[in-house]
Amino acid sequence: MSTQATNTISTAALPAWVKAITLPLILTLIWQAWAMTLPENSPAPAPLKVVESFIALTASGELIWATIQSLGRVLGGFGIAMVGGLGLGVLMGSSRVVRENLDPIVESFRPIAPMAILPIAILWFGTGTPAALTIVAYAAFFPLLINTIYGVSGVDRQLVRAAATMGISRLRTVFVVIVPAAIPSVLLGSRLAMGVAWTAIIAAELAVGAKSGGGTSGGIGQMMFVFYAYSIDLNGIVVCMIVVGVVALMIDRLFRLAERFLLPWRN
Amino acid sequence: MTVSQLHSKSAPKLRLKGVSKEFIAPRTGQRTLAVTDFNMDVQAGEFICVVGPSGCGKSTVMNMIAGLDTPTTGSIEMDGAKIQGPGAERGVMFQDYALFPWKTVRDNVGFGLRHGTAGRGLTSAESEDRINHFVELVGLKAAEGKFPHQLSGGMRQRVALARLLANGPDVLLMDEPLGALDAQTRLLLQVELLRIWGETGDAGDRKTVVFITHGIDEAVFLADRVVVMSSHPGRVSAVIDIDIPRPRGEHIRSEARFGQLTEEIWSLIRDEAYRAIA
Repeated sequence: MSTQATNTISTAALPAWVKAITLPLILTLIWQAWAMTLPENSPAPAPLKVVESFIALTASGELIWATIQSLGRVLGGFGIAMVGGLGLGVLMGSSRVVRENLDPIVESFRPIAPMAILPIAILWFGTGTPAALTIVAYAAFFPLLINTIYGVSGVDRQLVRAAATMGISRLRTVFVVIVPAAIPSVLLGSRLAMGVAWTAIIAAELAVGAKSGGGTSGGIGQMMFVFYAYSIDLNGIVVCMIVVGVVALMIDRLFRLAERFLLPWRN
Repeated sequence: MTVSQLHSKSAPKLRLKGVSKEFIAPRTGQRTLAVTDFNMDVQAGEFICVVGPSGCGKSTVMNMIAGLDTPTTGSIEMDGAKIQGPGAERGVMFQDYALFPWKTVRDNVGFGLRHGTAGRGLTSAESEDRINHFVELVGLKAAEGKFPHQLSGGMRQRVALARLLANGPDVLLMDEPLGALDAQTRLLLQVELLRIWGETGDAGDRKTVVFITHGIDEAVFLADRVVVMSSHPGRVSAVIDIDIPRPRGEHIRSEARFGQLTEEIWSLIRDEAYRAIA
């Protein structure tokens, strides 16, 4: 009886988080089993060594500080991009004259990868936080701008006309009709922008770390560079990769939460 | 009393004089005469229906009265003053309702009071009372916290009507407001619309209505006068007085006079309607 009951349990009944960790757990076990066949002094990363490295880096405070530094730069750069992207996006989305004049400039800068402007950023701002902020802001700017333009220019004209017939001024209509109607697109843009900002910061810190010889630029990217170029510690690099992934996941979940809070009228 | 005051006193609520509208296509520069030589006086408290074949410029006329479009020639006056642009004194109910999808039923109804000129001088308690009144009038009290996408077509239409009325316009401009509804709901809402308009009350309390429809029976049921338009270019081909006494109930639909008037209007449109589908 009881064995029969266990056999018929379907995976559909399991909570989502159990499903989410099952496969990673199995892969980690396989990885660990493989690592245990290697000689003791092998530099190849192994799950248990990664955990050891994680504990050591956390205990020393290095990891937390590096994460805070990188995250701070992402948020700072994202904030700058937000001001620029939203401001310009609303202007370009609502005025055809502005859009037609700026579109060629925007579209010719957009394909230039954030890393490609790194040399200029370093020459102008040195190897510290300002250079990193520039790269992040540049990377996050375009998804925000493009999605804001799309959202604003795609606002149902009928809603704008309806507002006019209610005696609502044009300026007020921008704030009470056009901006709220564009929020779904802006949120999508923000999510995309946050993703590329986080990618850009790690790359920027790696590169800036290389330029400054592993110096004091800080951040997770620089930490990875030090593990790579100086201590040749692959376990440390894996710790950094995991932290980057987990932080990105948390940011994405926060955005989804914000969406549910800001857009209760969608589904 | 000065002459101009006397004049404005006797002026109709709305006066359209020699109105024409020509659209110029942005790329090709091709000109289309949508409406020509349109003349119409609408008295205060009058219920006017405009009927005509598709593409005869009914909506263009309404948009010009609303101030959303400007006439190419001629003038449109309200209470003797030229209409310069949209304003809260001329409320519009759009064919697709144009509800704000991010606002609840209640917030849609109160949108104009909150952000527009009509709410000036009202305390927030007065605004709330007014919103309550109209939400209840259209029977949506229970659904006032819902968003438009959660409502049926008939309910959205009621929200649009409550929003129109709550803003307190002098003139109601309605562009095929019942067009998207199924036949039964449509008949019920026609009766309800007349009740809300104030058919049973004092004629002096009624709003001025310009109601666009392609339903001839709907026009006969609702209107004091029916303006029949013909197309290419859009112009007035006839104005028919509907002499069926008010208040009108469902029963008038089966009366001989109702049938006669419907037939009379249909005969004016028929040839053109056939040509349009040929």
